[in-house]
Amino acid sequence: MRDGINIAKSGIPSVALVTEDFWPQGDFVAQSVGMPSIPRVKLPHPVAGTGEVRMKEIADNVIEAIVDRFAA
Amino acid sequence: MSEFLEATDEAAALESLHDLSCTDGLPVVIPTPSRVERLVLASGLDADMVLGELGPAMGIATVEKVAVAAVMAGCIPDYMPLVVAAVKAAADPRFDLTELQATTHCTAPLIIVNGPARIECGPVASGFGALGPGHRANASIGRALRLCLINIGGGRPGVSDMALLGHPGKFTYCLAEAEEDSPFPPLHTSLGFDATDSVVTLLGCEAPHSVLYSDNADDPEDAEKLLYILSTGLANLATNNAIFTSGTALVVLGPKHAGVLARANMSRDAVAQRLWELTHLPTADHDYYGGQYGSRFSDEEYCVFAEPENILIMVAGGSGLYSMVMPNWGGASHANCAVSVQVENNFFCEIPGLSGNP
Repeated sequence: MRDGINIAKSGIPSVALVTEDFWPQGDFVAQSVGMPSIPRVKLPHPVAGTGEVRMKEIADNVIEAIVDRFAA
Repeated sequence: MSEFLEATDEAAALESLHDLSCTDGLPVVIPTPSRVERLVLASGLDADMVLGELGPAMGIATVEKVAVAAVMAGCIPDYMPLVVAAVKAAADPRFDLTELQATTHCTAPLIIVNGPARIECGPVASGFGALGPGHRANASIGRALRLCLINIGGGRPGVSDMALLGHPGKFTYCLAEAEEDSPFPPLHTSLGFDATDSVVTLLGCEAPHSVLYSDNADDPEDAEKLLYILSTGLANLATNNAIFTSGTALVVLGPKHAGVLARANMSRDAVAQRLWELTHLPTADHDYYGGQYGSRFSDEEYCVFAEPENILIMVAGGSGLYSMVMPNWGGASHANCAVSVQVENNFFCEIPGLSGNP
């Protein structure tokens, strides 16, 4: 979440990818830095270590949402 | 100025503080204005003086807000200079508090006290059970910092403090060095301070891991064997340090084990140097077990710690067969380093008539 915020602060459009277990923390961080509406997309948890097939499946499932957030 | 809550009595106030997630889950002393004022006065600082910013909420740690936490934690006025120093260390950008509070790792800030303030602002225990229950200063000073991290820094489990399990040191984690039982100069003299200075050193680290070594004065390899055993506790492949190859870990030598090293004419620097050497591990193991962090080294062995200075060594505890090691997280931009702050206890102020107030 913080990476997305730092990238956005540098003027580069960004969408933070946040897993569902970390969604409340993402909200907290976004609020605390004064950017409550920073674009973010929810991923299932966990992603790391789930293997290439699963990660590709997750990517397929969220890619449209990511593009939508960039286009919004 | 702090916001005020109103309650019909102290029991109702306690429930209100629990409901607002302002406690660590245990009962707290209700921070009434007179109690807070008493600790502000004890600090000798202005109530609205800013000690720093605490993340991830980026709350402003004024002396008054810190005094609120100190009251809640059960601190007496004598402890305030140590609480203030600990908060300053936590707010130091090198401490990377925002990341430390937010990580899934179990890190907690350990407060190490050196110098005359161990007695003048305590006593902060350094002997038997120094990290356990029964020592008022250790318990309440560490707890005061934790309550600052909760209520000013906004660190709350599962929302902003994402430690997967945490550890009991997240309630309180504070001890002094047993300088009188140590064969080495005090820790803070290795960190650039004079022996007569009072210093708080803050290190985000794991819970203490016990290290057993049955020493034998007749064994010419006694010191080397002890150092080997310490190194296995300090940097095995279960630690972040061994996998991330970053961070600063702590060795708490029991006085008896410190004596083993002194008999071998080893200085603190020599001990750190040898531990650094002994924590060079096989690259093949890192490649095999390191997952996404593996396959980074080309030599047969790799260094767990960047420098010998990344192994802090202090002496504490009762005298026996045990020492302790605290590996740490090793993340964030300053790699989870230790931060030391000089304790300012010359401003201590106790106002007659206020000292007896509950």
